[in-house]
Amino acid sequence: MRSKLLVVFLKEVRETLRDKRVLGLLVMFTLMYPIMFGYILNQNIERATRAEREGIELAVIGGGQAPTLMSQLRQKNITVRDIPDAGEEAIGEMLRAKKVVAVLRLPPKFSDNYHAMRPARIELWFDSATEQDRRRRDVEDVLRAYNANIASARLLAHGVSPVTLGPIDLQRYDTGTNAARSAGFIGSLMGFLFFPAFFCGMAAAVDSTAGERERRSLEVLMAQPVRTWELVGGKWLAAASLAVVGITFELIVAHIGLSWLPLEEIGMSWRLGWGDLAKLCLASVPLPLFAAAAQIAVAMNARSFKEAQSTVSILTFVPMLPGLVVSMMELKTATWMYAVPMLSNQTLMREISKGGELGPLPYVLTFACSAVAALALFAFASWRMKSERYVLAV
Amino acid sequence: MIEAHEVRKQFGPVQALGGVSFTARDGHITALLGPNGAGKTTLLRTLVGMLKRDHGTIAVDGVDPERDPFKVRSNIGFLTDQFGLYERLSTREYLTYFGELNGMNKADLRRRIDEVSAMLAMDDILERRSKGFSQGQRIKVALARALLHRPRHLLLDEPTRGLDVMSTRAVRHALASLRAEGCCVVMATHVMQEVSHLCDDVIVIAKGHTVAQGSPEQLCQRTGIASLEDAFVSLVGSDEGIVA
Repeated sequence: MRSKLLVVFLKEVRETLRDKRVLGLLVMFTLMYPIMFGYILNQNIERATRAEREGIELAVIGGGQAPTLMSQLRQKNITVRDIPDAGEEAIGEMLRAKKVVAVLRLPPKFSDNYHAMRPARIELWFDSATEQDRRRRDVEDVLRAYNANIASARLLAHGVSPVTLGPIDLQRYDTGTNAARSAGFIGSLMGFLFFPAFFCGMAAAVDSTAGERERRSLEVLMAQPVRTWELVGGKWLAAASLAVVGITFELIVAHIGLSWLPLEEIGMSWRLGWGDLAKLCLASVPLPLFAAAAQIAVAMNARSFKEAQSTVSILTFVPMLPGLVVSMMELKTATWMYAVPMLSNQTLMREISKGGELGPLPYVLTFACSAVAALALFAFASWRMKSERYVLAV
Repeated sequence: MIEAHEVRKQFGPVQALGGVSFTARDGHITALLGPNGAGKTTLLRTLVGMLKRDHGTIAVDGVDPERDPFKVRSNIGFLTDQFGLYERLSTREYLTYFGELNGMNKADLRRRIDEVSAMLAMDDILERRSKGFSQGQRIKVALARALLHRPRHLLLDEPTRGLDVMSTRAVRHALASLRAEGCCVVMATHVMQEVSHLCDDVIVIAKGHTVAQGSPEQLCQRTGIASLEDAFVSLVGSDEGIVA
């Protein structure tokens, strides 16, 4: 005779795996999710490091009238490209295509005005909708310096010291880099890697409780010689095991992707060996157990399948909150963080990826906090199903 | 044999059962008659120990369902008013699931499924998943589930509701053969014709109380009314809730 919990467990797993939508969701979260995630990450790294790698492209119309300006631009590592004047339309087109950061146009009268010492107009065309702001400012800095140089030379020619015009001398030092700016964002993105723990088992948890109740098969089941904890336990473990498989595969796929991404370029790292990954996966096993127990405890009390689905979906976002709060308040890693389910997993992953030696405590705490919460919820659900009020509502 | 004596059950201010007493004997089909809301479902749930009674005694072959619900349940086949099938499981898988929950071993289970399937003439749907089953096929599967673990008692809640003539006959035939085997069958129903044809004993409950118990003929005699339906209405004291 098999254990009745096992009988319920096997039936629920078999039934769930026959649902194509659930299978689709499972595949999506284990494969698509980390791939999508890697793609977004890669895009971010690309954007953050592009400026340093590519330099600044500038198109110039009529540049021959100001050779000194051109050479000053080149000295600042700006690639200057001469183009013929094809009208405003053509300039707008060029900027929209993002081929250049900006277009510098020197009108034909520039030379005359310059030599007559009248203000000589230079037009800077740019598209503020693109993310080229910083590089455009670099171009403007060069123009400003050029302007100041000429002014000084002219004053000097009139016997006035150019120092008169510069009562203060502003020096800017920007210690921030693109990389540091995006690291925070990407770090909080990584927290979402544990999301599938809540999604993979959701359908099974809702269907085996609220679904059975709505289809009225739960009444039949409860009239069998089976203890309620065996019923709840079988359903709980079935939903959880799907999520355990899902999250483990997802972490493996994510690991492969993250090891391959050039995270070092933005000052982050993913220094995980397969051994670390195994330990992380193991410490994360109770998280889907906790998720499934919470989903079952909520779904079994819902009046309908639909109500259960929406309540459980909302519930799914609750565990994300501590992680968001911590990243918004920029809290430093502390031991208490390992005692909050979900936050503990996110913190653990972040710390491991830095590559330091953690010791056993974070792993144990991460494992235990979810496990204890899961068991408590399981006990609650079993107790609830046994109660007379629940029997009446079935 | 199922014996109930003065069973009472209260839900908050609502008195669901106010004193139900009856005896359902082995080898008999006992009809449970009563208008909707008379307490039939509550009574059946109390008999299998899903609900605890406030007062009175119940004995199923001498066992109190409150003391040892599992022993009682493994000796009762319970057919609720909903069939409770799983659309993604085949009939055989469904039966295997409930057989295992009742502690049957594999070999015994296989043999028993074939037996029950032959008895209810459902070989054609044994390997099919229950999605798209007709009402008749559904009740056959549910009945097969209730009979699977060879219970000596059957509690059936409106077993022929929504069935066509052929399926109704098949169910009645199955019940008659179970009676011949000595089973104790309790059947809640609203179909008077079924009661007079099939049942040996009738329990009438109304507003949570047993109003009468006896054979259909005895009930007619007692009320002095020739038709069972009219006799039932007179016993219940109103003409609500009868779907004949």
